[in-house]
Amino acid sequence: MAGKSSATPTTYSPSLTGQKKKRPSFLTDSDWVRPDGRGPHQCRPAFLRTGAVNSASGSAYAEFGNTKVIVSVYGPRESKKAMMYSDTGRLNCNVSYTTFATPIRGQAPETKDLSSMLHKALEGAIILKSFPKTTVDVFALVLESGGSDLPVITTCASLALADAGIMLYDMVASVSVSSIGKNLLIDPVSEEESYQDGSLMITCMPSRNEVTQMTVTGEWSTPKIHEAMQLCLDACSKLGKIMRSCLKEAASGPQD
Amino acid sequence: MTGLDKTSHLVRRSSRLRHHTLRRCAAVFALTPRIKRQEMAATGEPNDLSSEMELDAFRRLFPIRFHERHLLESIRPDGRPLGRARDTTLMLGAVASANGSALAKIGCTTMLAAIKMEVMTPTAEVPDEGCIAIDFHMPPICSPLVRPGRPAEVAPVISKQLSDTILSSGMINLKELCLVSGKAAWMAYLDIYCLDADGALFDAALLSAVAAFSHLQIPVVSLNDDGRIVLISDDISGAMKEKEPVNKETTKLKLNNLPFSLTCVLHKNYILADPTSEEESIMETFLTVVLDSSFQLVSLNKPGGPGLAHTSAIQDCITLTRQRVKELEKILKEAISDMEVD
Repeated sequence: MAGKSSATPTTYSPSLTGQKKKRPSFLTDSDWVRPDGRGPHQCRPAFLRTGAVNSASGSAYAEFGNTKVIVSVYGPRESKKAMMYSDTGRLNCNVSYTTFATPIRGQAPETKDLSSMLHKALEGAIILKSFPKTTVDVFALVLESGGSDLPVITTCASLALADAGIMLYDMVASVSVSSIGKNLLIDPVSEEESYQDGSLMITCMPSRNEVTQMTVTGEWSTPKIHEAMQLCLDACSKLGKIMRSCLKEAASGPQD
Repeated sequence: MTGLDKTSHLVRRSSRLRHHTLRRCAAVFALTPRIKRQEMAATGEPNDLSSEMELDAFRRLFPIRFHERHLLESIRPDGRPLGRARDTTLMLGAVASANGSALAKIGCTTMLAAIKMEVMTPTAEVPDEGCIAIDFHMPPICSPLVRPGRPAEVAPVISKQLSDTILSSGMINLKELCLVSGKAAWMAYLDIYCLDADGALFDAALLSAVAAFSHLQIPVVSLNDDGRIVLISDDISGAMKEKEPVNKETTKLKLNNLPFSLTCVLHKNYILADPTSEEESIMETFLTVVLDSSFQLVSLNKPGGPGLAHTSAIQDCITLTRQRVKELEKILKEAISDMEVD
């Protein structure tokens, strides 16, 4: 094989000519524009579809700008032999990235913590009692990473769970906000995330008005946290509506 | 629980049952003796339960008989004649972060291939050639049989088969990947992800790989003073343009002799083209033929299996592959022209 004939040659991805990394204009200007021309409180258009993977019990594909994710759900199926008896079901989550997901090959972020975050975000919304002794596997593959990956994965996973017929208290929608300077940017892209001073993510069940997961990192003032939370919750309820209409469409469409 | 969640639950119930194979089978097994006795009394044919049993149960309990009954009628469970491949679609440019990419679908089997170009120093033996590194991945999303940390056994096998096929077919002239002789050359990383595994994985993977290469757009680069290769972007002002691009004329590879493949299942005297995963799991003798666009044989692979192949069967497979190559070439041409219209 060509790639392995000698000690694998070290390779690099060619970068742009001598350009210094300057902070993009939206940080310094008061009259800034986001890289994709959105308003600060405007989310990327969401494209959601269920039934992306035929061999899975349920699956969904989500595309938010350049962030593209597929989630498959398998089960409820037999738990691993080594597992102890349990009268509630188990949830098993795994997130992975393709090698071409990031602009530079093989620079995918650590996925162990993403898997565990996804698990924690979904756990509270699933009626685990409805499948005792068995396991539901939720596998996510990030085809392209374009920012706000975890919220998109969580949203897509919740849709895939509904598609698989797993009993849920409610759908789970997730949105994040980046704080850059004085500004709050909802649903940030990768470039914005790399310059952020702080980030806040809320995962909630919109129709029950319950939050399953919330993370706040970086520098925040109290009034800003309040504003960001309100932004996220509003966006989550809108996203929840889109998810519902996607499921309704799939259910009313032709059956297989 | 809201109303909607309930409906979606009901709608999917039928498909959920499909996955409870183990339990259902056990239940039907418990019933079998009784069914058998009834039938013996009724028809006196002890071996054929098909008329008495629910179709789905029969399919699961007696998969070989289920399929052989279809084969007798020269038809397959999904309604195809034996020699026909499933509907195939191709979409180029599915991944924006890659230099070339394609999504191929054969029936439900889905493959996403993407190429990323990086720069390497060529080895001393071949100073004017680039390199292609091919990797085939089966992430856990693609099949119920693959679990995280327990990768599919077939993945490395297909990976090796793909790189052997692509490198030996002469599709790509590695000299075209050279940038500065002895100093810099392209390393093309081709990664193929199986998104949905439903049989004939190699065929779909090869198709997506060939399509990704036909979509590949090599970036224009130049050599800077430190001896590193840098990108030339369109919007950079005159100062940067002094650097001479080193690969102005080779932003698109010349592809000759595109390889296309067809996998067939051999079962008794039957030849089934393009098997689904169900057919692959029941009838275990495969034969994969790879032909290039001028119908020359690139590779022929029969990885053992319980059945032996007659020379005539091999010839029939090659004939089927010739037809398939014509179909696939047409599909690729259409995908390329669709791409140009957009």
